[in-house]
Order: sequence, then structure tokens, then C-alpha cells
Amino acid sequence: MIRSLLTALPLTLALALPSLAQTYPERTIRIVHGFGAGGNADAVSRIMAEAMTADLGQSIIVEARPGAGGTLASGYVAAEAPDGYTLQLMVGGHPVAAALYNQLPYDSVEDFTFLSTIGQFPFFVATRAGRFASIEDAIAEARANPGTIVIGHSGVGSTQHLTGELLDLQTGADFIHAPYQGGAAASTALMGGEVDLIIDAGTVIRGQADAGVFTVLAVTSGERWPDAMDVPTLSETVAPGFDVVSWTALGAPAGLPDDVVATLSGAISNALAQPAVQESITALGATPAGSDGAELRALIERQIAVWTEVIAAAGVERR
Amino acid sequence: MLDQFVMGLSVALQPQVLTYALLGVVLGQLIGVLPGVGAITAISLLLPVTFHLDATASIVLLGGIYYGSQYGGSIASILLNLPGTPSSVVTCLEGYPLAKQNRAGLALFVAATSSFVGGMIGVAILVLAAIPMATIAVRFGAPEYAMLVILGLLAASLIGTGSQLRSFAMVVVGVALGLVGADATTGFFRFVAVRELADGISLVSLAMGLFGVSEIIRQAATRTAALNTPTIQMRDILPTRTEAASLAGPMLRGSSLGSFFGALPGTGAAIASFMAYALERRVSRRPQAFGTGHLPGLAAPESANNAAAQTSFIPTLTLGVPGDAVMALILGALILNGIVPGPRLMVDQPQIFWGVIASFLVGNIILLLINIPLIRLWVLLLRIPYQRLYPIIIVMICVGVYSHRTSITDVILTLAFGILGYLLKRYRFELAPLLLGFVLGPLLEDNFRRAMLIYRGDFTVFITRPISAILVAASVALVSFAILSALRARRKRPKPDRAERTT
Repeated sequence: MIRSLLTALPLTLALALPSLAQTYPERTIRIVHGFGAGGNADAVSRIMAEAMTADLGQSIIVEARPGAGGTLASGYVAAEAPDGYTLQLMVGGHPVAAALYNQLPYDSVEDFTFLSTIGQFPFFVATRAGRFASIEDAIAEARANPGTIVIGHSGVGSTQHLTGELLDLQTGADFIHAPYQGGAAASTALMGGEVDLIIDAGTVIRGQADAGVFTVLAVTSGERWPDAMDVPTLSETVAPGFDVVSWTALGAPAGLPDDVVATLSGAISNALAQPAVQESITALGATPAGSDGAELRALIERQIAVWTEVIAAAGVERR
Repeated sequence: MLDQFVMGLSVALQPQVLTYALLGVVLGQLIGVLPGVGAITAISLLLPVTFHLDATASIVLLGGIYYGSQYGGSIASILLNLPGTPSSVVTCLEGYPLAKQNRAGLALFVAATSSFVGGMIGVAILVLAAIPMATIAVRFGAPEYAMLVILGLLAASLIGTGSQLRSFAMVVVGVALGLVGADATTGFFRFVAVRELADGISLVSLAMGLFGVSEIIRQAATRTAALNTPTIQMRDILPTRTEAASLAGPMLRGSSLGSFFGALPGTGAAIASFMAYALERRVSRRPQAFGTGHLPGLAAPESANNAAAQTSFIPTLTLGVPGDAVMALILGALILNGIVPGPRLMVDQPQIFWGVIASFLVGNIILLLINIPLIRLWVLLLRIPYQRLYPIIIVMICVGVYSHRTSITDVILTLAFGILGYLLKRYRFELAPLLLGFVLGPLLEDNFRRAMLIYRGDFTVFITRPISAILVAASVALVSFAILSALRARRKRPKPDRAERTT
């Protein structure tokens, strides 16, 4: 009897909650992210904050808690109340961190409510004009001279770095992976001839490619990317099955009530339907793409598995 | 090129663009004055505003905040020994002794005019030599950076005013503090006691703690009476003719060094100002006057950090590669306006490129015009009793440091560095070499290890690459020169030298 009362108690609470939560949102909402001001995550957060404000009727502020590959922000959000007033702008680094860090103070899947993806973007493999004619040439030269061709990347344990390591694993080529402080520094090194290839997002590469300084050799997505249909995929050329796509998404602490999820999901998809938002996200090199929470969760689980394998096989130091 | 610059001026003088330049530099000036609040915080807060502006107005506004903050940074350094930004730390070394001699107005005047000269030379280089400078910047690979840092560390070992050994010890402590955080080559966590330290100790918390908080503790501990009622007559603000003449060289040298370091991605205004100060001491006929309120030691770094603030736009605007976080933010504003930053910007969007550069010229003039009359006002700040002023400043430092990374750990560290700084000062250790070690140490390690990785452990890269070889030669020359002049000095007058050391 007592047991059934106890089990009934949360149920009645749950039934009572919707009427309380129907007033959501009644105060300022925060979007937390774990990266530097002005970076991709920051820009997407601010675009979404502005676009969702009108729909939700409350102001939304963006809070950067940068550090440790975004895991400080994730740890912070995971510990916050699931009341819909703390959201997190997540990036493709979220599953990477799950695979890379030894002792995260949170569970990368179970401690979060996943709302929707915002945009998806692939990485491009680029070289200095004239260095390699095609991705096949680059791989052939790397296979012929192991440990001589250098790929510059934006930092140890970054998605770009691990994408390069994955290329090693799938093609049997042996590249040197040189870390730089961010994609811009790696791209400067490619211009100066210090590295032979870089793997990074379209925003980092496009300006140089348009000017003919860089040649784009391949794209990391499984299918050709809509904005760059003339760029072959790694999958169709040197590494069958290669498929790396990064993304931005919105999440919240685990246990967010269903009606709050519904309100937020509605606001996100309305925001993504606005032409101005689509333009801004496209300008940041991504394709605007909403999803439901389950799809996002599945994507993250899948990527955690892939990166865990890459980190173990490539011998990247876990931290 | 000049006709394009004139076209740029016509863009910069449009009422709307002019308004944003004014707004930007005034805001930047204010932010620079506030200890701990950096340009980067202000720019990221204003980023959403730029969604509603066109590309030129956005960069004019954000850029104005950046170089405006370099002007503002010197004010609290001079008046209160509290650097507003890391790049104005060296300004304290000569500026604050001047304020103590009741010459704060003069120091502020020299800082403002040096900043203006540095800014204008930086803009001139931006107009005349952006492309060649960018080409040189791109040639700087890992070996060049590593050798440049070694040269810098050697030059800086002369930065202290007291014992060389103590100064060297402080550099080592700085390097050690710089080791904290994830190893950039392997990702291994070093001395990461709490996860907040994974990316290392923040430069802002170290600089604000060592120089700002420690000064407040020192004032509280010594209970000095407030400074004499400061004079604010215009003739006390202006330097004498001889003084003015002695500043031309330092300003030019500071501006050249600043322009060079600014254009190199990954270095910047803070390193430039340290190097300019070290160089000035090196070339000075009266090195012993440094640290006592010597005007050339104030003018050189102030010119350097402002020149660097302008030339740091070179890689950003000509190549589309941001040299630091602030530049990345500014590029972000361009990207959100649908403009792809890159080498084609100059060709495809000349009105943006030249309009922005011309606005820097206008902005520097505005800054000079608002700074000179404000000097009297700033000096009045000294009339506020310390016991009222300092609690407010401590709160501002904490808020400023917190705003950088939204991190309480940074605030606690700032206060801890304040205590450390107080103890070090008390036992006559100098803090500037510590900060320099902190900035340069990780840069050296990162680039040296990257060079070894890319060139597979071949040490000869440092002397077979031309720019690197020149830097090695300069280091060797510097060391030989120092040894020779030390030997000569010992032979000439062994006794007074030793007596000076021990007092």
C-alpha cells in the first residue's frame, strides 16, 4: 500500500507540473556554451538567442564558460536545474570530449536533454595551390614517404585533429599531425609552406580557396556537400565509408519536462525557419538543419563510439 | 594606393561611419581604464549589435574599441599603478613613479601623445606596407617563432632595474606558471589541480593580481597618506622642449617594434610593449634612470602597444587570418555580414578595406583630441582618498576577471597572485620579468616542439632557414655585446658598480 502510494506520488507531481510549467518561460533564459567569445559556438548561440527571443517572449542571454574543450560548460549545465532556463549550445566536440577525457564530472549522454541540431557542417581537406593536384596524389605521396607529409590541425584532441588521425587509419597513410593554436594559425602555416595539408571547416578555408591560394582536395562528409558539389568526398576517392560531419545543437540538463521541451523545440524550429537565421548559419559555413531530440541523441552516441575507437587506435593520449 | 586611401577616407567620414568610430573609441577608452575588463569582453558583448550594422560600420566600431582600449589602459597604470590591460603593465614602471613625483599630468600627456604617434605609424604601415608585412608574417614558421622568443627573452633579461639574478629567477617563475594546463603538443594535463586550469592560468588574472591587487595590498599595508593635491595647470602637463626632443627616438623605436610584433600572428601588443621597454633600456645612455620615472621608458612601450594594435589588422584584413582572439571576433563580424575574409577582400571590397583603415586614422585623431583635455579630469581621481577608491577597484578587478571566462577560479587566483605579488615586491623581486616569462615561455615551448615535430628533430633548421638564422645571429650578438660591455665596465670602475648593487 505504502509502496503504491510512493510510486503514485511522483505521478501526481508529474500530473500537477504541467499546469505550473505552462507559464514557461517567465524569466530570462541563458544559453551557455564552452568556447571563446566570437567563435563558431558563440556566434550560433547569439543568432539563436536573438531569433528565439521573439517567440518565447523572454530575453535570452549568452554565457561563455570556455575551457577544457568545452567540458567545463557541459559540467556546469549538467548540474543546473532542468527548468528550461539554462540551455547549452553544444558542438561536435561534445562526443569528442566524451571519448577523450578520462574523468568528466558528467555523463555525456545521460545527463542531458537533447533538443535539436541547429546546423551541420563537414570539414574540407585543403592544400596550398600547386602542392598536390588531388587527394589521391596526397595519399599516394604520404604512403610512399611515411612520416614526412604534415597535416596542420587546430589543437590536440580537436575534431579536426581526430579527423586527420581517422584518415591515417582508413588509408594506411602515415601523416605527421602538427598542432596549432586554432584553425587560423594552421591555415597561416599552410600558406607559409610549413605544413602540406589542413583539415578544417569551410569558414577557415573558403577565403583562401576563393583567392586561389588554397586548393580544396576533398570533403569529409559521406556524400558531396550541397554548397560544394564539385569537391569530391574522401569516401568516393581514398577512404571508402569515411563520413565526418560536425554540428551545432541545443541541449539542456537531463529531466527537462516534456512541455518545456515542446515549447523550446517549437521555438527552435520557428527560428530555423526564418530566412535571416538560415542566412547567418549558412554564412558560418553550416547547413541549417533541425532535428528531434532522439535523432540528436543517436547522433551523439554514434560519434562517441567512432571517436573512442579513433583515439584508441591512433594512440592519442587521453586526459 | 594613396587614391584608394582617399576613397577610404570618404567612406570613413560618412556621418554614420564616423559616429561608429567615435562610439567605438570612446567605449574602448573607458574599457581600457577599467582594470581587468578587456576589449575582448566588450567586443563579444557588442557582437550581436553588429548583426544590424553593415560590414564597414561593424569593423569600425569593434576595431575602435580595441585600439581605444590601448589608450585607456595607460591611465590607471600611471595614476594608481594598476594596469588596465596586460599590454599596459610596463607603463606602470615609469608612469607610476612620475605620478608619485606629482607629475601625473605630464605622464598622461606623454602616454597619450606616444599612443597617438604609435597609432599613426601603425596606420601608415597598414596603408603602405600591408602586403609585404603580411608576406613576412606568413614566412614566420615554428623555427622563426622559437628563435624570436629566445631573442626576446635574452633582451628582456635586461628589463629589470635591480639584480640580474633576481630578474632571471622571476623569468623562471613566470615560465613555470606558464606550464600549467594542457600540453599543446600531446594534450597531457600539467599541474591541472582543478579542471578550470585545463587551458592554463589566464594572463588577465596573473597581470591583474600581480600588478593590481598587490599594489592595493601594499598601499593598505604602508598606510601612506594620499598624494599631494595634484597640480592640473596646463604648463605642468606639457613636457619641456628638451624632454620632448628626447622622446622622438623612443617613440620611433617603440612604434617600429610594435608594428613588427603586431603584424605577426600569435604575438601582440603585450609582447611589443615589453620588447620596446627592454630595447629602450638597452640603447639608453642612462639605463640607471629607468624605473625612476624616465620619460623615454614610458613613451617607447606606449607607442609600441598602439602601433601593434593597428598592425595586428594586417594579417586579419589582407589574409583573412586572425592573429589573436580579438581579431577572430572582428573577423566573425565580417563573416556574419556574409563577407568571406581572405586575400580577395582588398580586391573585391575595397570600400571596406580602405574605409576601415581610414577610420583608424580618424579614430586615433579623435582619441588624441579627447585624451588631452581629459588629463586634468583623470588627475583629479588622485584626490579621492585611497580608502574609498581601493575597495571599488578591488571589486572592479574581480568583476573584470570574472567576465573573461565566467570563472570563479580565475577570481580566486587573481587574489592569490595579489598576495604573491605583494610578497615579491616587498622582497624586491621584480614582477615585469615574471609576466614576460609567463607570456613567452609557452610560446617558445609550443613553437620549439612544433619545429622538432615537423622537421623530425633536425636542429639545423634553426640556422638553415634565413629568417631564423638572422634571429640566431642577433641573439649571439646580443649576448656577446652584453659580455663585452660587462667586462669593459668591470675594468673601468669595479667599485662603484658593486656599491650600487648592494644598496
